[in-house]
Amino acid sequence: MLLERLNTIHWDWLVYLEMFIAGIAAGAYIVAALLEWAGRGNSPLARSAHALALPLVALAGLLLVVDLSRPERFWHMVVQSERLLPMLKIWSPISVGSWLLLLFGGITFVSFVDFLIDRGVFALGGWRRGRTLHGSAIGRVWAALGLLAAFGTAAYSGILLSTTNIPGWGHSTLIGAVYVATAIITGSAALVLIQTIRGLVDADVVALARTNTWLIVWWLALVVIFLATLGEGLRFIATGIALVGLIAAIVLAGVVPLVLGFVSGARSRSYLAPAVSILLGGLLLRFAIVMGPQSVH
Amino acid sequence: MADAMGFYTDTTVCIGCKACEVACKEWNQLPATNGGQNTLSGNSYDNTLRLDGTHWRHVKFIEDFSPDRSQAAWLMMSDVCKHCVQAPCLDVCPTGAIIRTEFDTVVIQSDVCNGCRDCISACPFDVIGMNEATNTAQKCTLCYDRMQNGMVPACAQACPTQSIQFGPIAELRQRADARVDTLHSQGQTNAYIYGKEDMLGGLNSFYLLVNRPEKYGLPASPVLATVRTAPSWLFSAGSAVVAGLVGLLGFRKHRMDAIAAERRSSREA
Repeated sequence: MLLERLNTIHWDWLVYLEMFIAGIAAGAYIVAALLEWAGRGNSPLARSAHALALPLVALAGLLLVVDLSRPERFWHMVVQSERLLPMLKIWSPISVGSWLLLLFGGITFVSFVDFLIDRGVFALGGWRRGRTLHGSAIGRVWAALGLLAAFGTAAYSGILLSTTNIPGWGHSTLIGAVYVATAIITGSAALVLIQTIRGLVDADVVALARTNTWLIVWWLALVVIFLATLGEGLRFIATGIALVGLIAAIVLAGVVPLVLGFVSGARSRSYLAPAVSILLGGLLLRFAIVMGPQSVH
Repeated sequence: MADAMGFYTDTTVCIGCKACEVACKEWNQLPATNGGQNTLSGNSYDNTLRLDGTHWRHVKFIEDFSPDRSQAAWLMMSDVCKHCVQAPCLDVCPTGAIIRTEFDTVVIQSDVCNGCRDCISACPFDVIGMNEATNTAQKCTLCYDRMQNGMVPACAQACPTQSIQFGPIAELRQRADARVDTLHSQGQTNAYIYGKEDMLGGLNSFYLLVNRPEKYGLPASPVLATVRTAPSWLFSAGSAVVAGLVGLLGFRKHRMDAIAAERRSSREA
């Protein structure tokens, strides 16, 4: 049995917003990596993911820094403050997460530069339009590396919550798994939304939107398993405003897109509503999981 | 390395005088609550209520009365950081701000801490809190500065009944076991030691209790939070693999369908 808390940790909107944004970046990059391996690393959909991931990762990192009580010491996460050697503790989820964010940031930076080069914005020697990283053999290796870093970025914040003694979080080892699935469905939804707004709905976007319906079934199953196995921890997550958020998340990210998926055809505009609904649901799920246990005192 | 040092707190002789709280605050220059203005909590004689970033000692007053008040006992206990041998706070701290000292105690270095607050969530005893003066996480240091100079921690020095005893852990454990034997021989068979080696590798601040741990606001089986790290990564990887397979199969099928549909519509046009 975990002790109910009197000391609050104040992980609130900055934290769940960071989890949501980093999740979208990770999910979008996972889609791009899979496209790369399917030989479509240069497709408009993959390029959209390359353009999206870096700004989101940068924003997520910024939110994490601002959330620190001593933000000017953010670098202590990766550098030992006295000896200036790398600081890594593999059993500390925040330590591992900091390095993963840094690694993922670096990988998405290169992909973002590659996106600009592909658009003809500039060239760097032999790295020029028509000879880009993505779409080449090295691009596949880069995508594989990015896939791992994206997975880690999506998972670590959920694992961080499980690796606490806060009732509700410490009752489950499945939060990371739920977060990975949430990252993939919200990342996919963000890409579908962007391509639809840009009027670039091709076969890839149609396929991604429909595949996301399958993925939502997996996400829903995971959420149900997570809640069902929480035991006495359930009352700390399914409580008050967090319970409302949880129900809304399941409806918006699960039920609504599934229903809309069944009733809609291949009309491009029909992807807008499900994509927005999934994104809202993903944000509400993070809100419910993060805030629920902190609202019980 | 010096001998492992710690506290043995015998709750049966605590009289609730709070000299330990005052001595701790004074030595460590911890700020008073509400600027020193007295606020009554309504919870027995306990106005401190908890351990946190500015209360490193907390004397609990537990009124253990039967519903008809025919049976009454007043349990008093001076609570403090347990300085666990397997310390969850030290494990999760990403900056290395939390260290194990040469005395086997656990100390937060305030000049290194960046206030991520993960240690607060990892502590199974709800000991650590934020100190608003420094904006860092803080807790009892077991008076590391005094120990380095061969002095007894301020709280143990101030305790008038020797409820709080300080010394080498091995010696304290022998003393505590002897005290339990004495209490048992006197008929108080509910006396036991909380924080033996089977609990987080042993608590370097352990207690002699005469009721269930929960009665004192202590967890019966505190857990090292990082035991959940590996399974969490494993389940996350499983989730990713399933999603990846579903995604690949679904994407391949739906893309073929979409291309076929495009071809059909262009032929019809």
